Amino acid sequence: MKQSRVVNVLFLLPCVFSFIMIIIVPFFFGLYYSMTDWNGISNVVTFAGFKNFRNLFSSADFLYSFLITIAYTVINIVFVNVVSFGLSLIVTSKVKRRNFYRAGFFVPYLIGGIVLGYIWQFILNNILVSIGMNMSIPFLQTSFLSLPHTVIWTMAAVNTWQYAGYIMLIYVASIQSIPASLMEAANVDGANYSTRVFKILIPMMANAFTISLFLTLTTSFKQFDMNLTLTNGGPATRFLDMPVKASQLLAMDIFNTATANRMAEAQAKAVVLFVVLLVVSLIQVTVNKRKEVEM
Amino acid sequence: MMKKTRLNTALLALVFVFVTGFAFAAGSAEETGDVTVNMFQLKVEIKDALDTYAADYSETAEGVTVKVETLGGGGDYGGAMKAKAQADQMPDIFMIEGQGGYDIWKDYIADLSDQPWVGDTDLSFIVDGKVVGFPVAIEGYGLAYNAEILRKAGIDPASLTTRTAYEKALKTLDAKKAELGIDAPVAMAASVAGGMWWVAGQHNLAAYWGGGLDFNDTSIIEMALNGKLDQDRFRQYAKYLQLLFKYADQNILLNGSYDDQVGSFAQGRTAFLHQGNWVDPNLKQLGVTFEIGYAPHAFLDTEQKGLYLFAPSWYVVNAQSKNAQAAKDFLTSIAMTPEGHAYMVNEAGMIPAFKSVTLKPSGQLSQALMDANARGGNYGVFFGMLPDGAGQNIFGPIFDLFAQNQDNLDQFIADMNRAVANLK
Repeated sequence: MKQSRVVNVLFLLPCVFSFIMIIIVPFFFGLYYSMTDWNGISNVVTFAGFKNFRNLFSSADFLYSFLITIAYTVINIVFVNVVSFGLSLIVTSKVKRRNFYRAGFFVPYLIGGIVLGYIWQFILNNILVSIGMNMSIPFLQTSFLSLPHTVIWTMAAVNTWQYAGYIMLIYVASIQSIPASLMEAANVDGANYSTRVFKILIPMMANAFTISLFLTLTTSFKQFDMNLTLTNGGPATRFLDMPVKASQLLAMDIFNTATANRMAEAQAKAVVLFVVLLVVSLIQVTVNKRKEVEM
Repeated sequence: MMKKTRLNTALLALVFVFVTGFAFAAGSAEETGDVTVNMFQLKVEIKDALDTYAADYSETAEGVTVKVETLGGGGDYGGAMKAKAQADQMPDIFMIEGQGGYDIWKDYIADLSDQPWVGDTDLSFIVDGKVVGFPVAIEGYGLAYNAEILRKAGIDPASLTTRTAYEKALKTLDAKKAELGIDAPVAMAASVAGGMWWVAGQHNLAAYWGGGLDFNDTSIIEMALNGKLDQDRFRQYAKYLQLLFKYADQNILLNGSYDDQVGSFAQGRTAFLHQGNWVDPNLKQLGVTFEIGYAPHAFLDTEQKGLYLFAPSWYVVNAQSKNAQAAKDFLTSIAMTPEGHAYMVNEAGMIPAFKSVTLKPSGQLSQALMDANARGGNYGVFFGMLPDGAGQNIFGPIFDLFAQNQDNLDQFIADMNRAVANLK
């Protein structure tokens, strides 16, 4: 089988070309614009060095968005992975109608983030509040989305509802690829259920954890659509004595900066998001990889 | 063998589709006369009316076709405009919503000072003495009231001209809530979460910028752009806002959406609504039959009787387009012909900014505004002079926080002082 170099190049060309034009070139353009004062439209672009970056770390709204994004990511990683691992144990057990459950848990993932945000906003702001009013349950009478200290948890819960089914499928696939003989042997040796899960199942699933943690980490860091429709960044809260939006994650902060025609500043924020996400996910993957075992 | 034939047939069909597609495209391009004026506008609510008017105009005007593209509501008009500029597809007529938009697009904006409609309106967009923007409509607001509820509660809306009068009226309404069948006296929204920052942080705050002053007096907002608030005036304003917050339906205030706010008023569950005349179609849709009027946002210790009137957006003509003249003629036809007047008032349901228009809009709030406009003594709305995003990103959270902590008046004033100091 002889491969012609020309043919290889020709077949790769369309992909490589679009990848370069759509990802690589804009990326470096973005780096450049983050060091200018461009407003998104003007033909006059002045180079400003690292001024935008320096300003970022003294602006309360960016610092708050940064911290709240990290908090949201941590909460979300724990919620999603614990729930989806639990679900995967249930749907791989001998429970009746487990295929139905598998499909059922996965369905929320098929709903778009925008739609999902509006649905849950309606449930949280209208349905729960009206239940609270009619049954006189005080803690339901104000929406969880209107309190600065509950809003992030609520967002993580909604995101878990959507995303856990998808991560569950990864865990299910991983559990099914573990040879049944291992579990049977452990059973014969007298290991009880929790010992089998923690000593055999989890170590054998390490590669599934690597990918699931990576996916939840990156999606939470970049969370935007559900954030926009569910909370729109609200309510307001106080941070460093400045009023800021309590649930405005980084992506939304970038978006709002850009739509206020402060393109260069928004681009600088995007660069920071990119660098942080890159570093954190590289560390996560390296650490997780070490825990994986070869069969 | 069979497979190959089928593939060929499919390919042939595909080619056929392409060719006919091109042929049709070419055909329709030829039909359309000499000049095509492209208009890009953001008022979704008038899309159908404007499309129809543009089509009628294209039929009567010799060799001119007007094509209207609409993107608005939740759409990112500014973003789409930038994309068009980058793609070298700038429309011939587009819209700006204030100084911020003008500053961005000024290279593309033509001088319209010599147009025949200029003398017929007070609301053109004027920069350095040059008219550059065609006012799309008059919008405006006061505090809308449900006349039936006020009558039952024994409140005369004409008496609501000072903050003290409001305080008394709101207290009365609050005391008679059960009897009147209302949840709360006021339907007010201020939440970032519900996307309603603009009601408080833009429209209500506009009372401070322009209330009680001459229609074109921008001294207070210019002072703010220089980093300062008039402390005495602002404290009076803050007390008025506090009043509205305290007597508002708290769920609507803290996380309600536009629909929640307008719906509550339309169903008679609140006596006052803090919204402009753009809710007329919503109220009609919700089957409102009760009598509605506008009371002024009287926040000062002294008497105030005017409503707040403004042109929310302006059409501007692309100075770099070779179709600029045709574009100007189209705008003139809207302002100066009976067909144009009929389109603005009857079809689009707007209040025209041109004095020569004699038609009356059908909505109760629009009529109230038009009467106020004829009466005079109204106030200008100047939030368009603020930097882009100031309402949403700076004032929005401050008002939201004040709505959450309504007793903390001094904190609100301190926050606003600092925010305004940063505007400089």
